[in-house]
Parts: sequence; C-alpha cells; structure tokens
Amino acid sequence: MMSFRSVLLLATLLALLLAVPPLLDLAWQNALVNVLIASLFALAFNLLVGQAGLLSFGHAAYFGVGAFAALHLMIAIEDGLAFPTPLVPLAGAVVGLVVGLVAGFFATKRSGVYFALVTLAIAELIHALAPRLEGLFGGESGIGSMRMPFAGIVFGSTIEVYYLTLGWVLFCGLGLYLYTLTPFGRLTLALRDNEQRVRFLGYDAHSSKVIVFAISGMVSGVAGSLLAISNETANYSLFATDVSAQVVLQTFVGGSTVFFGPVIGAAIFALFSFLVSDLTRSWVFYQGLIFVLVMLYAPTGIGGAIQHHIRHRRQLDWPALAAPYAAMLFGGLLVAAGIVFATEMVAVMFGEDYARTREAAGGALIPFELFGATWSPTGPSTYLIPLVLLGAGIAILVKVRRRIDAVWAARGEQGSKTQTLATTGGIQ
Amino acid sequence: MSADTRVRPALKLSGVTKSFGPIEVLKHLDLEIASGERHAVIGPNGAGKSTLFNLISGIFAPSSGEISLNGRSIGGMAPEQINRAGLARSFQITNIFHRLSVFENLRIGVLARFGVRYGLFRPISGMRRINEETEKVLAQVGLESRGHDLAGDLTYSEQRALEIGMTLTTGADVILLDEPTAGMSREETAEAVELIRAVTVGKTLLMVEHDMSVVFSLCDRVSVLVYGSILATDTPQGVSANHAVQEAYLGQEAA
Ligand SMILES: Nc1ncnc2c1ncn2[C@@H]1O[C@H](COP(=O)(O)OP(=O)(O)OP(=O)(O)O)[C@@H](O)[C@H]1O
Ligand SMILES: [Mg+2]
Repeated sequence: MMSFRSVLLLATLLALLLAVPPLLDLAWQNALVNVLIASLFALAFNLLVGQAGLLSFGHAAYFGVGAFAALHLMIAIEDGLAFPTPLVPLAGAVVGLVVGLVAGFFATKRSGVYFALVTLAIAELIHALAPRLEGLFGGESGIGSMRMPFAGIVFGSTIEVYYLTLGWVLFCGLGLYLYTLTPFGRLTLALRDNEQRVRFLGYDAHSSKVIVFAISGMVSGVAGSLLAISNETANYSLFATDVSAQVVLQTFVGGSTVFFGPVIGAAIFALFSFLVSDLTRSWVFYQGLIFVLVMLYAPTGIGGAIQHHIRHRRQLDWPALAAPYAAMLFGGLLVAAGIVFATEMVAVMFGEDYARTREAAGGALIPFELFGATWSPTGPSTYLIPLVLLGAGIAILVKVRRRIDAVWAARGEQGSKTQTLATTGGIQ
Repeated sequence: MSADTRVRPALKLSGVTKSFGPIEVLKHLDLEIASGERHAVIGPNGAGKSTLFNLISGIFAPSSGEISLNGRSIGGMAPEQINRAGLARSFQITNIFHRLSVFENLRIGVLARFGVRYGLFRPISGMRRINEETEKVLAQVGLESRGHDLAGDLTYSEQRALEIGMTLTTGADVILLDEPTAGMSREETAEAVELIRAVTVGKTLLMVEHDMSVVFSLCDRVSVLVYGSILATDTPQGVSANHAVQEAYLGQEAA
C-alpha cells in the first residue's frame, strides 16, 4: 500500500495541477499540456524499458499513429459523425494497440540489441513511407482538423484542452500504476529479470512480451492523440528518430527504475525546452550533455537518486549532508555556467552570422556580442572565464563528493543497492 | 517402490539421441522412471546429464527418439508447454529472478499453478489463496524470514533452496533437479536432502547428483551416464557393486 505521506503528496500535486493553470498565461498553459503529454508518453515507454527490460528505439511509431488516428476521427466528427470530442484519444488507443501488437509480435522475437534495432527499423519504415501515403498522413504537410464542441464545451481555449489532457493523463497514468500491482505486472518484471525461467514456470514468454509491447503502444497512442488534439494538426515528422530519442532521454534522466521517474524527466525536458529553446540554439546539445552526465554520475536517474535518499532517510545524518549538498549545488552551477558560456561562445564564433560579419570586415577576428557584453576572440578573458568557472566547479565537486561519500558510508551499512520496481509494489 | 505401481511410467525415453553438430552428446538412451520413483543420474563431467535434462524440459528437441511424460509425447515441445504438462525443473546454475523479492520469485510459479498466468484486472494482493500458497512454499524451503529480500541478495545455499522452491511452485508432479546440492557444505547438503525428501513426497523425482551419500539416502534407483550412454540402471547398492560402473566412474572418483 501507498504510505499516507505519498497519498498526501499526490493529492497536493493533483490540487496544484487543477488549480494553478487557469492563473497562468497561454504560453504556460500550452507548455503544461506538453509536459503532461510527454509524461504520459514516457510512462508508456517505461512500461517496456523499465518493467519489461525491453529498450525500444522506435516509440515515435506508436505515438505518431495515435496522433494521426485522432486527427482522422476529428475530421470525421467535423464532417458530422456523432462522437464525443473528449473521447477522441480512444482512437489513438485502439490504433496504438493494434500497431503495437503487430510490431511487437516481430520485435519481441528478439531481445537486447536486436530488439532495439527492430523497433528502430519499424519506426524508420513508417517515417519513410508516411510522406508518400497522402490519404493517411497527408503527405509532407500532414493533416489537420478542428476540435468540435461537445456537450456545451467548445474546446476553443487552451485551458479546456489542458483539462482534457490532464484527465486522460491521470486516467492512463493511474492505469499504468495499477498494472504494476496485477499478476501480469509482476510477470512483466520477471520477464525483465530472467525470461528463460519464466518459460519453465509455464508462461509463454513471447506472447507475454507482445502484450506488454501492445499496452505500451496503446498508451503511447493516447499520448499522441492528445498532442493531435492540442495542435489540431500533425505531419510525418512525428515519426522521426528524434521523437523516439526524446522519450529515451527523458525516461533515463528521470529514472527508469522508479515508476514516476520518467515523469520527472519528461517534465524537466519539456519545461526546459519551453524556457530555453528561444534563448539558445544549442538546446539539443545541452539535453545530450545532461543525459550523459546523469548516466555517468546517477545511472538510476533523478527519480532513482530521490528514491535512494528516501529509502535511507532514517539512517542519514542530514545536518552533516546539508553543507556538502549546498556546496555541490554551487559547484554544479559553476560547471553549468562554464559549459553554457563555452557552448554559446563556440556557437557564435562558428556560426553563420559571425562568418558573414567577418567576411565584411575582411576576415579579421572582430569582437562579438554575448550575454549583453562584448568579447574579443583573441582576448584572454573570453577563454579564462569559462575555464575558471569549469575548473572551480569541478574542484568543488570533487572535494565535496568525498565528504558526501563519507557521510553516506557512515550510515552503518556500506554500499547502496539500487532497488527496483520489484520492491516498490510491496508484498502483502 | 513396489513394482505394481508402475502401470505407466511417469517419464519414458526411448532411443533418444542428441547431437550438437558432429558430436553425439547423447547416444540412443532408453530410460523409464516410474511414477513416484526417486531416480538419480550420475556420471562424470561432460557425460551429458544436463543435456539430458535440457531435452526432457524442452530447451532442445532430441535429434531422434521419443520422450513421453505420463504417456504423452513431449519431445520437441516448448518449455512452457512441458511445464503445463506437469514437469518442472531446477537448474545447475542458479536461475532465479535476481531483482525480485524472494516471495515474488515463488509467487510467479504459484500464479501459474492456479491458472492466473496473465491476470491484468485484479490486484495481486487480493489473491488470498495464491499468497497463502506462496507463504507455504516459502516456509517449506525455509526462507520465511527472507521473503521481502531481493533474491539476488540471498546467500548461495539460500538461492539453491529458492531454486528448488520455484521448481515446486507450479505444482508439477515430475520434478527434475540438476545438482541441487552442488557447492554446499556437509550440513547444508544434509538440510537440502531433507528438504528434497519432504517436498517430493508423492511426486516423481529425477535428479543429477554427484554425491553418492545423497543418492543412497534419497533415491530408489540410479542410472549411470558415461559419454552419452547409460552404462547401468539399478538400485544404489546394485550400482555401487557393479564392476563396469566402478571402472568407468566410481573408480575415477575414488582415485
Ligand atoms: N548447447 C551446446 N552446444 C554444443 N555442445 C554442448 C551444448 N551443451 C552441452 N554441450 C556439450 O555436451 C557435453 C555434455 O554436456 P553436459 O552439460 O550435458 O554435461 P554434464 O554431464 O551435465 O556435465 P557436468 O557434470 O559438468 O554438469 C559436453 O561435452 C558439452 O560441451
Ligand atoms: Mg551438468
């Protein structure tokens, strides 16, 4: 059972999700819709990777078909079909499930790298075919449709779309959570651990994996439909590799071993891209960097790190940790500042605009503008500042890490076993 | 073991051969295990004992020959089908769900026994009979106090006990144990023997075992497998008095 504290936490979160958005402006409401959709997609994806141990590199396929299914249904509603608009994501669910069943049947015949490659190939196949299938995917430009009113709700404003999305995301998220508490949910974990033994206990491992795959496809399809409802349009770029890659990054940064981990990753990435993508063109690079750093220094992701702290909260000497953690945060900020400075500088110096101005100036290394100041490509401060930031940050991190390790080691039991979903469901 | 209960053998192999490429690992084996019998397979390393188990349990199909379980032909069937036909096996190399709790390791098999293999619409915690049955197996293999721990955190001999427990959970009446006592101390072995004796009451047991004292205390009959052929099948006493066996195998061991 869930503890009282986690129920309270979830209730607070729910209250915030319900009450805050009407107070926000349109851009923020839209960003939150994207956060919700990304969260659901990541949860669906993590059913496969975190619970069944199957790493798909082509989940854009199921997300994408869900979006197109929803749009086709919306077009039919526009043409007079009496179907309630709030239930449009059902189209994504059905199509995601069917496509997931077919693709899953083939992909799960293999495991590990070969499974990943088959899923990638299936998504690439759809991506390549889609622009040519005018009737289904509307060619290069895609298809679009309007949200039709239902039962007095116009679905004209972003906040209406937000609540519709929230309802579906909560419903599907809850469903995925309950899934982990069922016999099949436990079987999914067993498949991840040891597929062979599962077979010797009388289970058809292949069929089981196909079902897991299809359920993941179904929920991904719902997430795709929600995007289609929000955007009222979609084109074949939804099937692109970077959509598949995004969900992998979000899930692992958030933590695939914890049920809600992927939501953390999805929320962070979706919010950051909303906040930062206007400021920099290097956003994709930062995303990749965050992913690499998390995989190197917190392989269980942010969710895994949080869970680790919660699990050991009673054994830990929190006052002793406070100062080093603050120092770690400071060191991390210095490193981040150094990296951002260097990245943006490189982006400017090797960018088209600068090349053009240099050409105009006869090839001279003329100063450039960055962060509201002027920097000389030959001046020492241009290079010293990022280097000093990085150096100081890394020095602090290295030093502080030893202190943190010491506090953790002092908690009595050494080492930290990473626990997984297996034990979070509890045993009755 | 009286002869009259052997109406139909629980397990019957006739002319079973298995080759890996040009190498014949098992050569035209004939073997009958009576229902309720405890039968050991002994033999030197590489004789083909595990391969024999792999054929019976469905990892490989025999290259030729017939295998039948309770009168039903199972040669070439998939492991899950053979399990549902009533046969369960353990593994020489521990083969458990390392990142699941000990309780969960056992419950997976119990679910299969009660036919709730793919239940998706009810929480597992509410399935009283299944949880009680799992507790029972947990107690049977002496792991009551370890139910909540991750299986990967158990000691070696605890994992071996879990391995046996998992084999029992599906309710099969023919049990194959591949070297259940390998790597155990004398005391652990004695405990394991008592455990195996207790849990196989009323079932048919086929086990690979190197330790002759285990074979003597547990088994009705023994087959000696050497280079893929059965040299002799007899009572433990009969086998240890057999000259050919002594030369081919027991002699080696004593040397
Ligand atoms: N999958 C395989 N492919 C090729 N050869 C194999 C395969 N499995 C087993 N063998 C070979 O078959 C022979 C018998 O192996 P097996 O594991 O059955 O012996 P064993 O009697 O169980 O030995 P041990 O006492 O060491 O467990 C060995 O020579 C082994 O190398
Ligand atoms: Mg062996």
